[in-house]
Amino acid sequence: MEIFIAQLISGLALGSIYVLLVTGFNLMLLVAKIIQFAYPQIVVISMYTYWWVLQFSNNIFLVILAGLSVSIILSILSEPIFRKINSTPGVDINASFIASMGMAMIAMDIMSHSINYGFPVSFPYKWIGGSILSFGLITISKGQLFALGGGIIAVLIFFYLLYHTNQGRFFRAIAENLFAASLVGIPIIKTSIFSYLIVGILGGFSALLFSMLIGSASPWLGEFVALKMLAVSIVAGLGNLKGGLVCGLILGIIESIAIGYISGSWSNVIAFVVMLIVVLIRPQGLFGTKI
Amino acid sequence: MSEVTYYFLGFSAIYVLMGWALYLPYRVGQLHFLIVACMAISAYFGGYAAKEWDWPFVLVLISGILISTVIGFIFSLAIGKAPCFTVVIVGLTSVFIVKTTIENWKLLGGTIGFFHVPSVTNILFIMYFLLIITGFLIYRIDHSRLGRAASVVFVDREVAITLGVDIKKLGMFFQITACAIAGMAGVLDVFLVRSLSPEFFTFSMIGYLMCILFVGGHTTMWGVIPSAFLLQGIPLIFSSNIASWRQVIYGALLVIIILLRPEGMITRKMLWNMKPKVPQQAINK
Repeated sequence: MEIFIAQLISGLALGSIYVLLVTGFNLMLLVAKIIQFAYPQIVVISMYTYWWVLQFSNNIFLVILAGLSVSIILSILSEPIFRKINSTPGVDINASFIASMGMAMIAMDIMSHSINYGFPVSFPYKWIGGSILSFGLITISKGQLFALGGGIIAVLIFFYLLYHTNQGRFFRAIAENLFAASLVGIPIIKTSIFSYLIVGILGGFSALLFSMLIGSASPWLGEFVALKMLAVSIVAGLGNLKGGLVCGLILGIIESIAIGYISGSWSNVIAFVVMLIVVLIRPQGLFGTKI
Repeated sequence: MSEVTYYFLGFSAIYVLMGWALYLPYRVGQLHFLIVACMAISAYFGGYAAKEWDWPFVLVLISGILISTVIGFIFSLAIGKAPCFTVVIVGLTSVFIVKTTIENWKLLGGTIGFFHVPSVTNILFIMYFLLIITGFLIYRIDHSRLGRAASVVFVDREVAITLGVDIKKLGMFFQITACAIAGMAGVLDVFLVRSLSPEFFTFSMIGYLMCILFVGGHTTMWGVIPSAFLLQGIPLIFSSNIASWRQVIYGALLVIIILLRPEGMITRKMLWNMKPKVPQQAINK
């Protein structure tokens, strides 16, 4: 039972990061009308930035600022590319997925060639921290606490922005009907760029929590995270923010419990098998698509 | 024939087959990455059957195709008419599950791989013979009612349904055919290389196949051919320093082609314009 509770806590921490990632992905889908498959690669590059700045500085604020800035810059830099793709006549949402897959390939290869000779990097102990609370087998680490707390706070802020501010109203209006939103005078391009900014912040913050929780980064991490993010998004229903919240947490819990009871890389397979079965039974997602 | 030319021709043929396997379901707007999982399963089955059970090449080939066809059929029952991204995620998760299973299965060599598969004489000749047969069949499908129905589904699903097209059956047909082609490519691959590694069936391979299809052109079956040969030739044309960055080159090509020429290098319109025109005088007569 103790193992189960320990893995449940770990799963909630991991799940809250997945929720952040899926929320960013869904926001891109709803507002910018793109499938941003390269988003997890931005998160991994941001993780590498945290690691790199930590080599030179102990100033936490500087480290966080650098990681967040890289994530925001990369996210905003991709905006003109996707805008050009979306404005091409006869091109559908698949084109953004294909282009973002190309971007993911570029990012992954650059990371595997240039950073730390392609080897995974480990974050220093001062960054990850040790255990804070301990009851028998149940141990809560600093990384888990930050991931869980940070994830909840970030999601709450995001949903506040979405449902209680004018900008959020613009996002929802564009998500509902782009043409009608433009008719009532909502600045489409400006709102779209703002969504890239928000996604950049969410990406940088996810990278921060991820680096504290798992304590390492590798060029191949983005591939796994992209797969999980897309899978959660489809299992929940494409563009369904609330569905993504529930399914992200469930994925984190399933994955952690599988790690607790099943050895090696099989634990990852369990999560994918569950998602595959759900997708095969309900191809439209558990909560319905919003696009 | 030098070893480099031998492998260049062999891999190019395999990637043309895989490009066609990706092209077919995309006719109905589905990116069917399950073909990579099918290729891996058939390749491993083929390699094991030939090495351990001494099965002849023809029997291995037929069994490999059958296994992939059955897998394709079972999955198509659920995702025959599913939206593109549902099909994408089914394919991606399947590739990951198959790869992890192979890595953890000692019988198949685990992460180290599988070696010493028996050789087949004239494998290159057999490959190109099968390539021509497959190309002819795809050409016939493309120019049949099925091909026209697929074109309508790609442009507008609602119109296709109104016109009486059974999109589920059509999707199932293309998915099953694609898996069968991938199964064949898997068996041919194992007899070409005579070894297998789970590292071969990764995200990079999916990206490479996407590059072959979309750079060449996804609206006709012909685009895949020059694209597969050109991309396979990159490591041979450039120095090893540049060639080691080929994933960056493939990724950049994918982004550039979507930005500048979304239909790819060879388009249907281009082929239409190349057809010999009937002179105006002949029409007037």
